[in-house]
Amino acid sequence: MSDGEQPGDRAPPATGRQFWRSLDELIDEPAFQARLARRFPAIARHAGDWRRRDILKCLGGAVALAGLDGCERAPDEEALPFVEAPEGHVPGIARSYATAFEYEGIAQPLIGKTREGRPIKLEGNPQHPASRGATDAITQAALLGLYDPDRSAAPRRLGAPADWALFDTELAALRERLDSTQGSGFRLLTGSTRSPTLLRQIGALLERWPRARWHAWSPVADGAGSGLPARQTRRLHLGEAHATVAFDADPLGPGPLQTWHATGWGQRRRAYQAGDGAAQLLVAEPTPTLTGIIAGERLIARADRMEPLLRALARALGVSGGGSAPRLSPAEQAFVAQAAKALDEQRGHGLVLVAEHHAPELQALARQIDAALGNLGRTSELAAQRGGPTAASLAELARDMAARQVETLFVLEANPLYAAPPALQFNRLFARVKQRIHAGLHVDETGAASHWHLPLAHALESWSDGEAADGSILLAQPLVRPWMNVRSRHELLSGLLGDPTPDRALVRATWALDGPQWAAALVQGWVDAPPPAQSAASASPEERPVLRTSSASATGLSLLVRPDPSIWDGSFASNPWLQETPKPLTKITWGNAVHISPALAEERGLANGDLVRLEAGGHSVTGPVWIVPGQERDTVLVHLGHGRSAGSRVAEGVGFSATPLLGLSPDADVRLTRMEGRDEVVTTQAHFRMEPDEFVRFVETAADPLPPEEPRPSFYPPQESKPAWGMAIDLDLCIGCNACVVACVAENNVPMVGKKQVAKGREMHWLRVDRYHSGSPDDPEHAFQPVPCMHCENAPCEMGCPVNAAVHSPDGLNLQVYNRCIGTRTCSAYCPYKVRRFNWFDYTGGDPPELKAQRNPDVTVRQRGVMEKCTYCIQRISDARIAAKKEDRPIADGEVVTACQAACPTQAIVFGDVSEADTQVSRKKATGRDYDLLAEANTRPRTTYQARIRKGERPA
Amino acid sequence: MTARDAEDRVTREVVRIPQHFPARRAWWACFAVALLLLGLFFVSVAVLFGYGPGIWGNNIPVGWGFPIANYVWWVGIGHAGTLISAMLLLMGQQWRNSLNRFAEAMTLFAVICAGLYPILHLGRPWRFYWMAPYFNTMNVWPQFRSPLTWDFFAVLTYLIVSALFWFIGIMPDLASARDRAEKRRWRIFFGLGAMGWRGSAKHWHRWQQSYRLTAAIAVPLVVSVHSEIALLFAAGPIPGWASTVFPPYFVIGAAFSGFAMVSMLAVWLRAMLGLKDLVTPKHLDMLGRLMLAAGLMTLYGYLADAFTAAYEGKRELETLMDRLSGPYAWSYWSAVLLNFVPLQLMWWRGMRQHPLVLFLVGLSVAIGMWLERYMLLVTGLYRDWLESSVGYFHPTFWDWSLFAGTLGVFFTAFLLFIRFLPVISAFEIKEELEKGHNG
Repeated sequence: MSDGEQPGDRAPPATGRQFWRSLDELIDEPAFQARLARRFPAIARHAGDWRRRDILKCLGGAVALAGLDGCERAPDEEALPFVEAPEGHVPGIARSYATAFEYEGIAQPLIGKTREGRPIKLEGNPQHPASRGATDAITQAALLGLYDPDRSAAPRRLGAPADWALFDTELAALRERLDSTQGSGFRLLTGSTRSPTLLRQIGALLERWPRARWHAWSPVADGAGSGLPARQTRRLHLGEAHATVAFDADPLGPGPLQTWHATGWGQRRRAYQAGDGAAQLLVAEPTPTLTGIIAGERLIARADRMEPLLRALARALGVSGGGSAPRLSPAEQAFVAQAAKALDEQRGHGLVLVAEHHAPELQALARQIDAALGNLGRTSELAAQRGGPTAASLAELARDMAARQVETLFVLEANPLYAAPPALQFNRLFARVKQRIHAGLHVDETGAASHWHLPLAHALESWSDGEAADGSILLAQPLVRPWMNVRSRHELLSGLLGDPTPDRALVRATWALDGPQWAAALVQGWVDAPPPAQSAASASPEERPVLRTSSASATGLSLLVRPDPSIWDGSFASNPWLQETPKPLTKITWGNAVHISPALAEERGLANGDLVRLEAGGHSVTGPVWIVPGQERDTVLVHLGHGRSAGSRVAEGVGFSATPLLGLSPDADVRLTRMEGRDEVVTTQAHFRMEPDEFVRFVETAADPLPPEEPRPSFYPPQESKPAWGMAIDLDLCIGCNACVVACVAENNVPMVGKKQVAKGREMHWLRVDRYHSGSPDDPEHAFQPVPCMHCENAPCEMGCPVNAAVHSPDGLNLQVYNRCIGTRTCSAYCPYKVRRFNWFDYTGGDPPELKAQRNPDVTVRQRGVMEKCTYCIQRISDARIAAKKEDRPIADGEVVTACQAACPTQAIVFGDVSEADTQVSRKKATGRDYDLLAEANTRPRTTYQARIRKGERPA
Repeated sequence: MTARDAEDRVTREVVRIPQHFPARRAWWACFAVALLLLGLFFVSVAVLFGYGPGIWGNNIPVGWGFPIANYVWWVGIGHAGTLISAMLLLMGQQWRNSLNRFAEAMTLFAVICAGLYPILHLGRPWRFYWMAPYFNTMNVWPQFRSPLTWDFFAVLTYLIVSALFWFIGIMPDLASARDRAEKRRWRIFFGLGAMGWRGSAKHWHRWQQSYRLTAAIAVPLVVSVHSEIALLFAAGPIPGWASTVFPPYFVIGAAFSGFAMVSMLAVWLRAMLGLKDLVTPKHLDMLGRLMLAAGLMTLYGYLADAFTAAYEGKRELETLMDRLSGPYAWSYWSAVLLNFVPLQLMWWRGMRQHPLVLFLVGLSVAIGMWLERYMLLVTGLYRDWLESSVGYFHPTFWDWSLFAGTLGVFFTAFLLFIRFLPVISAFEIKEELEKGHNG
């Protein structure tokens, strides 16, 4: 009521005190009339002419119209379901839609499962080559991001809630200004998106306002902010690579390409197991990675040793460019000799990889070796980029901001105030920009410092497109209509251009498809667009180092800054599924640590959790150390993405930010100083050493069987059932990527418990991936082992339960009946595998309604005080059984796919009926590598493991 | 002094305690502490029911924690009362008469405390009755292979038999208290408990029959109940638990801790209520001997358990070595130290008869036996089969508060008992005196 209200409005009485006798008298006063006319011109006309009935009519009408506000904001749009006929929606029957989820510029092909209009699970698109049904952990967890209760729900202006209308007004003024100045002073900053529609829109924007500029940046791909590298200059086909030699490269590691690479690796490794060729993997690396752990040969070498190693390899293979003979240690010589032998034997099927953060000369040399051996074009190809506008770098933006050339900065899906390298001094410069607009899922660090924060629609509730790992174009359909007042990124850009178009129309306009073609593309999930022209094999694409390694430092320490395996660059920090996912190597949850080698820890007298200060190039971070066996002696590793100060309740205050260490010059001094005190680092596994046990067993080659085991006698009668469900987990294929863990969480409504509860040993994951190492801590043998419920035939838990809550089903499942459980926890005490999880508190009842909407309606949400565990996805078994019964047929092999199995990119998990000899699972169990975990406990587990194969050479 | 005088004196000394309580101030002080602890019990239970068992330090793998350890400890304490009164009654050891009444009361209250724990321990305590076999519309029975089902039966039976035995035993004394009561309310109070006892020969005859019969039922129960509790551990395939030695090992250990508790209570009551003529040095001597004997048998149990583990080798041996030198070695060695080192004083009569020494040795054993239960439970679970599942147990405030709270339950009931009921079996001592004079 402040505007227009002046002190003089209240007309003072002329003399003495005057009383008004009725409202009419007051209304007649000219001062009041004037004031009314100013504030409510529509009413002023009728002032003094009010009747009781009119007032009531107006009141009634206003109330009725207020209800209209709750109606749809836009007319219905058509989205096509994947398999099912669109008509006749049946409650209780899930519908699936092909969609995609993009991060780090790569879109993941997905099938989104919805129930009663709510997306409840994401699966990989089984028909797309970049997925084959598999997903990575981050993509699995994207579903929870959609339901994040801390997501920004409304536009904010200067931190206060505002509405879109106000923003649109401001935008109109901006547009007018830009039209007149040809876009001078306008900058758009985006993440590393490759969405063709978005690029088309940006192109249109730059065409209309030629003096505006577009900057693209991502802290992972472009840590220094010097410009995004040409994406995916080299596309790997690991399925073809019989011998792979990787120098500090981690193709199987976390990231948007993990599914693509791991699918290929799994395909190659399974062929090798079946006797087709070899699947050798030789890795030289400074810190254990998922690729290094699964490799047959792993050389521990500092990052700066990659160059001499690669040059020696080139020399050994007779490739020019190797230069003079580098000096190598005996271990390095042996590695190079082995690598050369493997590559030489597998000419045409070899692959030499150098991590993206190494010098372009090295990348070129690796390609040269591949070219010389005839590998190029078979195990890898050079993929050209699709056309589109060229983005400037973050550094250029900072430079222009410093020169005060930036008047309006529109930040779309990026968070430079958190993740920009400190050298750019982005925070200081950002405050100078006159008009700062931020669009994102959360009011993050950048959003909080902007004039306008705009809530962005989540990828799963908006239309878009993107480029998959194999270069094909995916279409992203929304799985649900946005329930908050948000706009998609395409709508925002079209709004900026003054042509507000729904995002569906924008995506459709990008692809010239007629009706049936468009429908077919939506159903399958991708556009059959011709791939961009391939560049010639000899052409050297522009490559530049990304996350730098500071190696040649005087103190002898070498620093690696990598994205977090769970929450990536911090964009997923608000996702509790990912925060609580134990990191593959360290099993750390809810935070990060400074990874150091055992030798360095001993030298400095450091223990896990001791606080250290890590300094490099004048910047420093403080965090707890974590000792990683198998890390190169002088290498120090930190993960990005933590230490957020804004964004969501989940993200804030977890871990420390490694951003200050981004973008350093390679010769920066790295110092590690011990600080006072300790910080709690929470892991889900306390002990990693396997000796003297053999939980993970090894054979030397695919042809070697494990020694036969005597059958153990039992007092219990044998369990005979039909079908008899069982699972086989091939440890030779498992890369420890955690996709199964998050898929299980998503499918089975597994509650997240938070850092304190995990510290107490109360994480609720039904499926965990154990990690072991054996041998010397300096260079141990690493192994992963996913452990779900074993579904023992002689289950100790069933014997222990006093109330028949743990019982055996006729099809051989070890059931947990939640509503019968009284919580004695005897089953868990008696379980040799400790796979049971207990609801110590009411972990689910207090969840906000958004999270409740996410839950799988086919799976009971467990209450406080009951035990739970892996069920072999009994709801999926039931679905298949019902379907089979309806058609009066047995359940076919492969009809039941558990959530973990579906997500696994290497197909390490196989599930099925073990009572039939010709099922996939029975064939897997019939290999000589099959063994029971803790066979000596004589529980006769239905889940068995296949031993890992040490070498991947072709059997002689 | 004639036998009749002596008998009168016994009756007076015992029966007048409730009505002319000798140590009001000391009693009130003790009672105030007990009530405070009782309050803590109710607070702990309220918090537990409000939030769930997550308030404790339990986790996966140590899903059982304080509740089960304390449960075993309390039941063990109870056993001494039954052994002293029922077994010695059947064996004609008349010196028991000065001790049996309060030992029985101790049993009863200890079993109540023990019985609370398995219920409070549950994730859904309001469903505890599902462990009982009863006809129900769900048509589900308990799972009879589970040691917990039998535990439920065992503790319930034991509670009923202990209560009966104690009540039958106290009945004649309630009658004499009724007869000597000066105020009407005391007469009604004791009269109700005496159930019309008139002391006729027929009454005595029937009483003798039922008392001895109940005793004969109670003695084997001690063995069966605690064997059953031992099965809670021994039936699980957990290294360090799955041992056939466990049932006798647990029974003897239970008697050991119980004798320690009886010794402490005897010394305390004797001092507080001035019963030096009734609880004589001879009684203390006998208690000391019992404690020593049970203690040595428990020590044998330790050795036998270690031997079995070493003989079995592999994981059993690993668990043994972990107990001796792992992160919970403190609990193992404290248990050994507290249980067996001060106990060696009991070889000397002078030490056994010295009330303070006996009390302190009893205290040391009670704590030592608690630590033993803690050790057995935690070292078994925190590291069983898979190295990946190792997880440490740290008790929280609410673990301790509930334990202290059950001590409150015990002492509140026990103090009310010594305040309002005859704490020593007067008629049995009189019977003994009579025999001594006539014989």
